[in-house]
Amino acid sequence: MTQPTKPVWSERPRPLLLTLTLILTLTFPTQALTQDKPIVLKGGKVLTVSHGAIENGAIVMQGGKIAAVGSASSVNIPTDAQVIDATGMTIYPGLIDSETQLGLTEISAEEMTNDLVEMSDEIMPHIHTAEAFHAESVLIPVARMNGITNAVVAPDSGDTLPGQDSFIQLAGANATEMLLIRDNAMPLNFTGEQRRNKGGFEKSKFPSTRMGLAAQLRQAFLDAQDYQSKWKDYERKKADAAQSKDTKDSKDKVAKDKKSEPTPPKRDLKLEALLPYLEGKKTIVLAAESPSDLQTAVSLANEFRLKFVLNHISHSQPVLDYVASLKVPVIVGPIYEAPKEDERYDTVYSLPAQLYKRGVKIAFASYSAHNVRNLPDQAGFATAFGLPYDEALKAITLNAAEIWGVADQLGSLDVGKTANVVVANGDPLDIKTDVKQVFIAGREVPMTDRQVHLRDEYSK
Amino acid sequence: MSWISARTFALDCALLTLLLASAAVSAQSQGASHHDVVIKNATVMTVTHGNITNGSIYIKDGKIAAVGETVNAPAGTTVIDAGGKYLTPGIVDSHSHIALDDDVNEATSPITPHMMMKDAFDYQDKAIYRALAGGVTTSLLLHGSANMIGGQAVVIKHKYGDSRDAMLFPNAPRSIKFASGENPKRVYGSRDQLPSTRMGNFAVQRQALIEAQEYMREWDGYNDKVKRGDKDATPPKRDLKLEALADVLRGKIMVQIHIYRADEMLTEIAIAKEFGYKIRAFHHALEAYKVADQVAGNDIAIATFADWWGYKQEAWDAIPWNAVMCMRKGVRVAIKSDSEDYTRRLNQEAAKTIRYGGATEEEALKMITLNPAWIIGVDDRVGSIDVGKDADLVIWDGYPLSTTGVPEKVLIDGDVYFDRAQPGLGTTHYKEGE
Repeated sequence: MTQPTKPVWSERPRPLLLTLTLILTLTFPTQALTQDKPIVLKGGKVLTVSHGAIENGAIVMQGGKIAAVGSASSVNIPTDAQVIDATGMTIYPGLIDSETQLGLTEISAEEMTNDLVEMSDEIMPHIHTAEAFHAESVLIPVARMNGITNAVVAPDSGDTLPGQDSFIQLAGANATEMLLIRDNAMPLNFTGEQRRNKGGFEKSKFPSTRMGLAAQLRQAFLDAQDYQSKWKDYERKKADAAQSKDTKDSKDKVAKDKKSEPTPPKRDLKLEALLPYLEGKKTIVLAAESPSDLQTAVSLANEFRLKFVLNHISHSQPVLDYVASLKVPVIVGPIYEAPKEDERYDTVYSLPAQLYKRGVKIAFASYSAHNVRNLPDQAGFATAFGLPYDEALKAITLNAAEIWGVADQLGSLDVGKTANVVVANGDPLDIKTDVKQVFIAGREVPMTDRQVHLRDEYSK
Repeated sequence: MSWISARTFALDCALLTLLLASAAVSAQSQGASHHDVVIKNATVMTVTHGNITNGSIYIKDGKIAAVGETVNAPAGTTVIDAGGKYLTPGIVDSHSHIALDDDVNEATSPITPHMMMKDAFDYQDKAIYRALAGGVTTSLLLHGSANMIGGQAVVIKHKYGDSRDAMLFPNAPRSIKFASGENPKRVYGSRDQLPSTRMGNFAVQRQALIEAQEYMREWDGYNDKVKRGDKDATPPKRDLKLEALADVLRGKIMVQIHIYRADEMLTEIAIAKEFGYKIRAFHHALEAYKVADQVAGNDIAIATFADWWGYKQEAWDAIPWNAVMCMRKGVRVAIKSDSEDYTRRLNQEAAKTIRYGGATEEEALKMITLNPAWIIGVDDRVGSIDVGKDADLVIWDGYPLSTTGVPEKVLIDGDVYFDRAQPGLGTTHYKEGE
């Protein structure tokens, strides 16, 4: 039987002699994420999210996956495992942030550090956040330190179709390892913010109104449909040509056949990028705030039979029954969104609870880069306005995993899922809780970042 | 509250709501009439002398007349049973720009000490009510940071629904906003004007202070002549700008400086010594942890964010341990909002100091009550639950230092201005939503 080792989080702050080492590990990790030997967290309260809480639980992480989870007395501990005593701790799945700008910005006001959105055109589906994602961003370890292990990276909302999202893991040797899914979804923003109407009539350009935005979107999807049929037509002709070539083997016909070989349509990156969405293979993240914008955007999406989830809808309280009737999940808020002039002070605070009451699946997002670490605060705050605790926790774990199509791997502590596990000294929704250790794919993530380094440097 | 039945408690609550509602409505319609109240069975977080479980407070004429496990109040005084809930002082926000209808910066000159924020104060701004709903009872509304020397602040009480004058904190000390770093240099540099560098910033500041010294000397000379009985003495021409700066030099206005970098803090300390004025607080002060000894040694407070960072170059070295590291070195620390959003939940921001650095519950609470009150210069009147102080109080639904605790009722000068059961109390602006 392996003796429990001293928990990593019981160590005092690292001695200053280690400062140099710390600097080197700031851009962790430099090698591929593979778990060397099984790790067992024993004792502590395990919040599985999928099947309740286990007091005095245990979890076995092996080969980057969760190999077992249950009560400390029942779980089978592999002989070669490193057993960590987690008594007094709370263990929960890595948190998932459903919209961030991680890897697309460092210092907000310094433009050269921003790769947030292409504002030269409103229809930019061929933009891929994965291609700008900065794996070495200083912001990523800061978020990770608070237990956020996965996130959606989305372009800024300045365009109606600003480009495609990525689904990331907040640790890995490089961007390739961290980008779990490239182009997992695409925002379609219809909040009015996308209008090119800044500076009055003189400076306005098309589309400067919602009519303009909607017409432009409709045209883009019509063009994509046309493009789709042209390519289908081409593929059909090509197949026909190949068939006729097979059947006619007379040599003098070859030259003529070559002539009848169809010409492919000209490739168009924008329209090509829209096809998986038009075909319902990928998810559109439909952002609107007010009831009118919401209904305009939804009818547009329905016109082209897009598969969508909703985003924000902070000022759509009057139509929440309509929202529920759509039977789609909602990335809600942020809960801190200011109420409109005629809305009650708690209108947005209570939105998650109101959606939940109507059977709508919700997830929270920080909509941020620097403040990703504060994601659980929104979930906690929502409980003060009626959202049940379990649902609040799901909204930053399992619900998010389901919405993004990764629930078979993430979002709860279940056997077979990726071992993204957080060990903290308290409840995940308690703002005072200090995260002691984060595991991503079964590996201990170094619990340090640039801010910890500065703290230690000036605590001499 | 185990000794009373749930039914009795429910009745108490209903009665309490009615009483408080009528008290508030009449206070708002009649002006300064106060209802004397006893709040009993509360977990009183005094901030200055620990927590009192099952504590009581006697509010008389809008002031705290008694606080303890039991209080003596005249028979017939309205009694509120807090049902064991937490009771804290009202939250004080020492850095806010709400209710100014976007008139935050007179960004047409780097020196505008004669701007009075009171002249822009929009007392009907709903942001005042939304902050109140988060437990804020007093705010310092400051000029923005576009100018090296901005305008003079106004201190308000969040008595939303009352008249403008009723919302002005009576006899609050004067404060002026100074700024440094990126904002002034960006604003004027982008117009190809002085200042466009940090050197320029400080040169502009020094030049203005030198002119104020000159102006002060002229007036001192004139006043001396008058005192000596010189009937021919002619007064110098009044100059609003220099008059305000002269009052800074005379120590009549407290200096509140927007500042990020540690080196700039040292420079501002040196300039203050050179010209003989005191700095009340460094605002933002995200690098204060690098020079905490010097900040503490000059009796300068900081009004900082709990964990904001990275939004600009000078916020790149911000760390969430700043507040507690400075506090441990003897700096008076306040957590402030600088935001219409965050001012609604400063209790949550304060709670972060427990997590980052291990502040005690009382230390964390002090950062949003007594310490910001000191920065504003009203710590003798608000910021803690002590006899003689204004009855600015919050009854909490849940634990205050959390995301899950929210104000149930907020009292200012003994009257209820926010009641969760009746949102929109005192105003017709709020439609009944769902």
